[in-house]
Amino acid sequence: MNSDRVIRKEEMEGKLSRAAKKLTSSPIQELSHLAQRCNAINLAEGFPDFPAPIHIKNAAVSAINSDFNQYRHVQGICQHLAKMVKEMHGLDIDPLTDVAISCGQTEAFAASIFATIDPGDEVILFDPSYETYQGCVTMAGGVPIHVPLDPPLWSLDPSKLLRSITERTKAIILNSPHNPTGKVFTKDELETIAGACCSRNCLAITDEVYEHITYDNQKHISLATFPGMQERTIITSSLSKTFSVTGWRVGWAIAPASIASAIRNIHIIVTDSAPAPFQEAALTALRSPPEYFETLRREYQSKRDYTIKLLAGVGFKIQFIPQGSFFLFAELPDDCPLSDVEFVKKLILKAGVVAVPGQGFFHTNLSSDEVSNASCNYQKRYIRFAFCKSEATLSAVSEKLGKLLDTEGRLALH
Amino acid sequence: MRVYNTTCCTHYLFRFMPSSKLLGYSNSNNFHSVISPSFSKTKTKTPKFSSFISTTMSTVSTDKNQTHTHPLQVAKRLEKFKTTIFTQMSMLAIKHGAINLGQGFPNFDGPDFVKEAAIQAIRDGNNQYARGYGVPDLNIAIAERFKKDTGLVVDPEKEITVTSGCTEAIAATVLGLINPGDEVIVFAPFYDSYEATLSMSGANVKGITLRPPDFALPIEELKSTISKNTRAILLNTPHNPTGKMFTREELNTIASLCIENDVLVFSDEVYDKLAFDMEHISIASLPGMFERTVTMNSLGKTFSLTGWKIGWAIAPPHLTWGVRQAHAFLTFATSNPMQWAAAVALRAPDSYYTELKRDYMEKRAILVEGLKAVGFKVFPSTGTYFVVVDHTPFGHENDVAFCEYLVKEVGVVAIPTSVFYLNPEDGKNLVRFTFCKDEGTLRAAVERMKEKLRK
Repeated sequence: MNSDRVIRKEEMEGKLSRAAKKLTSSPIQELSHLAQRCNAINLAEGFPDFPAPIHIKNAAVSAINSDFNQYRHVQGICQHLAKMVKEMHGLDIDPLTDVAISCGQTEAFAASIFATIDPGDEVILFDPSYETYQGCVTMAGGVPIHVPLDPPLWSLDPSKLLRSITERTKAIILNSPHNPTGKVFTKDELETIAGACCSRNCLAITDEVYEHITYDNQKHISLATFPGMQERTIITSSLSKTFSVTGWRVGWAIAPASIASAIRNIHIIVTDSAPAPFQEAALTALRSPPEYFETLRREYQSKRDYTIKLLAGVGFKIQFIPQGSFFLFAELPDDCPLSDVEFVKKLILKAGVVAVPGQGFFHTNLSSDEVSNASCNYQKRYIRFAFCKSEATLSAVSEKLGKLLDTEGRLALH
Repeated sequence: MRVYNTTCCTHYLFRFMPSSKLLGYSNSNNFHSVISPSFSKTKTKTPKFSSFISTTMSTVSTDKNQTHTHPLQVAKRLEKFKTTIFTQMSMLAIKHGAINLGQGFPNFDGPDFVKEAAIQAIRDGNNQYARGYGVPDLNIAIAERFKKDTGLVVDPEKEITVTSGCTEAIAATVLGLINPGDEVIVFAPFYDSYEATLSMSGANVKGITLRPPDFALPIEELKSTISKNTRAILLNTPHNPTGKMFTREELNTIASLCIENDVLVFSDEVYDKLAFDMEHISIASLPGMFERTVTMNSLGKTFSLTGWKIGWAIAPPHLTWGVRQAHAFLTFATSNPMQWAAAVALRAPDSYYTELKRDYMEKRAILVEGLKAVGFKVFPSTGTYFVVVDHTPFGHENDVAFCEYLVKEVGVVAIPTSVFYLNPEDGKNLVRFTFCKDEGTLRAAVERMKEKLRK
């Protein structure tokens, strides 16, 4: 049978869509393969290696046994979200019309983009940013415009934002708490963004998946709470990070009714339904008592502190302490001659530990007039470490790094 | 031209993967060029629902009159969308206490051995992100099953992508491989999300209508519609809503036209295990076809677990690449524990499939005999769990009016098929019943119709 499969590669490659033709091999992909081959300890992937909470797993098991296995929309999720959003942010939403359930925040975001972005619309992203946003905007025919946050504290310069807004700007994407830096946007920064949205009549699409993972008594503030914002904000989030079930694919978008309806329509086309038993389990998850969230925060904070101490102790420059999420964006020491990719390669080979080179999170904006070698040098100096790992894993990392220290106690990978 | 030889661009190791370097994206590269999609070319018409159905609809899509007062508009690609007919009819069913033979999912549950596998996977801790294009063992199980079914040997790593249901396989295939303005041929009647998905991609949709009594492929019409400008044909066999199965002759015809004109085929085969009166044939297995076909399927219909959302797309690497690109941005990864269970399901012994067919054939007999006895003109359904009938003996104006009457006065739900056509007029004589219900429900529905359905 297979002898009939004469693959005329060149002819067939003409079938690819325009973007699909531009494949290049990526240094990051090569690192990924290397890490796998070396069986490296994984501080790259942004998901826990400890078990999900028992009460939530039990709820899922119970749902499967109770035959919640056909297409469904669990309205109770919308009701719980309305309650939580009111308690956490003081926002009033209508659970019947303002919520769209989705397969994870990924789908909520994709549906939100497809629901609002027409080809040619500009969409503002803050750099560094989680890669998927740009790809999704591009898939919808939108034009991503990157506004750089300023190192070392990743602060928002209002003039940079305002300069980037044009009459074609349709939406601003805000991820807070932020991947990869762990930044939680300040009230002033949120006010700036809100002010820009209102005065320039843009939408805001937020990714708040780390909303319950904040530190040092910082509270996550939703952009939608600012004056004039609720009517123009789409909030996306999910169960994944809060309940350590990144593989369950239950998320949501909260937006004004007409936009939520549009998002729901897209969702119905893209997947039609989020996994039914996990929607049922979501009800249990969302009903978790305050102690659950306090413990979550406390445990992640202790992992954060451990990781900072460990990495700072071996020479990494950590000028910005993450205020949220479970990522640490550490800078290579000034005297380190290696780029982020080169460093991670050595980290894998010598130390058996893998993290993500930061350059993949930075984007050069062709329209920016600040692009120069000097000012963008920092883009190759950062490494993202995920500390959503068990104590055993973090200790193992400490042990491995401990074997590679020079006389000054600094990591020497050469 | 380079031949790429890559594993998928999404890798379990990193939370997100593809990187911009991987995709080669820069601001000037888009999946679509920056032009207005050709929505005006799609022959989309809003089915004529009576007012009482409209008022029970949940929130509307866009209201163009609000342009001035409501400053923020949803995207133009949504202008033709509306709440699906299924939701509307289900709401009516509840309101009138009607027996629902409209919606295409079972009222019985999946097999215990599959459910137990999912529970075990949850307890074993498989609750984090699965590899973007599928849990390795599931990809292998899919390849094994595909080989059993078609004789084709496919590479689980390079030629299989796991998605959130076949719905997402279709969405990812269309969004990953269709550019705005590309011509795509669909056979009407069709599953209602096809039109919406194609509309989202900006495709130029060309419909070819299959007509009763046997819904045969109109060869001359296909020959005159297909051309070197055609990018793809969207095929569904066994076919929802008619229950038709494309014959070998029909598939050969389609295949030769596709090869001649260099056209892709996107083949939705979710009902392939519900093939009753003839053998299911995957068009990918015909000579010259694997290299240009995306074959899509899912767990839901075969294992009565429609809410688990495990589907897949099988295609040669150069097409899989496009599917995976879109998939990475649509959902990124599919439910992890259910994938483990799906691998167990797909390795079910032949006896499972034999029994499945036997059960469904018994159900089909109950419904079809009942519908005939009541007075419908019933068209032969060779596969799927659907049957379409001509309702005109009962004297109603069109399919929507008939379905309204059926719900309110008789207490049974069917789906008006006009929603499955580009031109609703083509469907006005037909309604669709489903028999994916337990026998008691089917018998009760038939009884109600015998009692109350009047000519």
